[in-house]
Amino acid sequence: MKRSFLIILSSALVITIMTYLIGGSSLLTEGFRVSLNTALQSALMLVASFLVIGQIQVLLSKEVLDQWLQRFSGIKGVVMSALAGGLFPGGPYIYYPFVVSFKGKDIPFYIIISFLYGKMVFDVTRIPMEISLVSPTVALVRNIITFPIPIIVGLIAERYLANRTMDSFLEEIGDADGSNHDNS
Amino acid sequence: MAQTTIILSALALALTLVNAKTTGKHLEGLRVGFRQLAQTAPLILGAFILAGMIEVLVPAEFVQNWLSAEAGIRGILLGSFGGMLLAMGPYAAFPIIGSILASGAGLGTTIALITSWCILGMIKAPFETAFFGPKFFIYKTLCSIPFCIVAGLVGHLVEMVVL
Repeated sequence: MKRSFLIILSSALVITIMTYLIGGSSLLTEGFRVSLNTALQSALMLVASFLVIGQIQVLLSKEVLDQWLQRFSGIKGVVMSALAGGLFPGGPYIYYPFVVSFKGKDIPFYIIISFLYGKMVFDVTRIPMEISLVSPTVALVRNIITFPIPIIVGLIAERYLANRTMDSFLEEIGDADGSNHDNS
Repeated sequence: MAQTTIILSALALALTLVNAKTTGKHLEGLRVGFRQLAQTAPLILGAFILAGMIEVLVPAEFVQNWLSAEAGIRGILLGSFGGMLLAMGPYAAFPIIGSILASGAGLGTTIALITSWCILGMIKAPFETAFFGPKFFIYKTLCSIPFCIVAGLVGHLVEMVVL
């Protein structure tokens, strides 16, 4: 979070200076007016969005999703793990260690890849933000269009990497040091 | 926008009630939500400033030529690769994408941009490389680019035919 904040802060500073240099104080004022308008219009939506995110995070514990991932296989496994990924709370600093915690449990690689793509594409905790900060129409159309992606990726992996577990796949591609991150 | 706020508020209320009935941890849910809001508020504020400046800085001709629905495949390709460069979380990336949309970007471009940010955003690169290795990161990136382009093309088609 600190790193993202620093990136945004420095980018905002650079672009604010650029705005002033390009368009003077009138363009700068216009920029701040647009920013303030967006902030005011989104304030209530943001509060509601974070209340939704908080409740989802408490409702769907890691333990529930952990059981879910280990129960299914085949096409059902692809769909269920993609959905589990979409429901899994937290950023990459939480879900990558969670995935690596399955090391040694002989979970097929396609289940893992479906979960990762499900998290990246579906992520339910991100939808309220997408609706409030981009546009409800774009969020709806984007989610419908991209819905099949994790399932297609999972099915391709199931077809071509069916015999690989996460451990064997990582050994095969050779350069991951998963053992250092084993949380199991 | 008011409609969206009402829908999200109703959803928050419904989830609070479900949580109260099933887990009894609804207050913890509220705490988690407010804590996360407080933690990300400075980030969102910074992103709003960035997005506002982008909106007034990006020339209308650039949007028209490169990002609008009329730009077609050019905008979709630009979106598919541009999303990768947004190395930031949703609180920062969405206001920027929203400002690009407000400047006049087409639906196809916006969808390619969001899809690319979701799947290929550089914020994930350090984690993927650390946990799965650089080869996995490269394979995943190369295999995922076509999905972003196709998503953008479908979005463009929806805009042309339906919206």
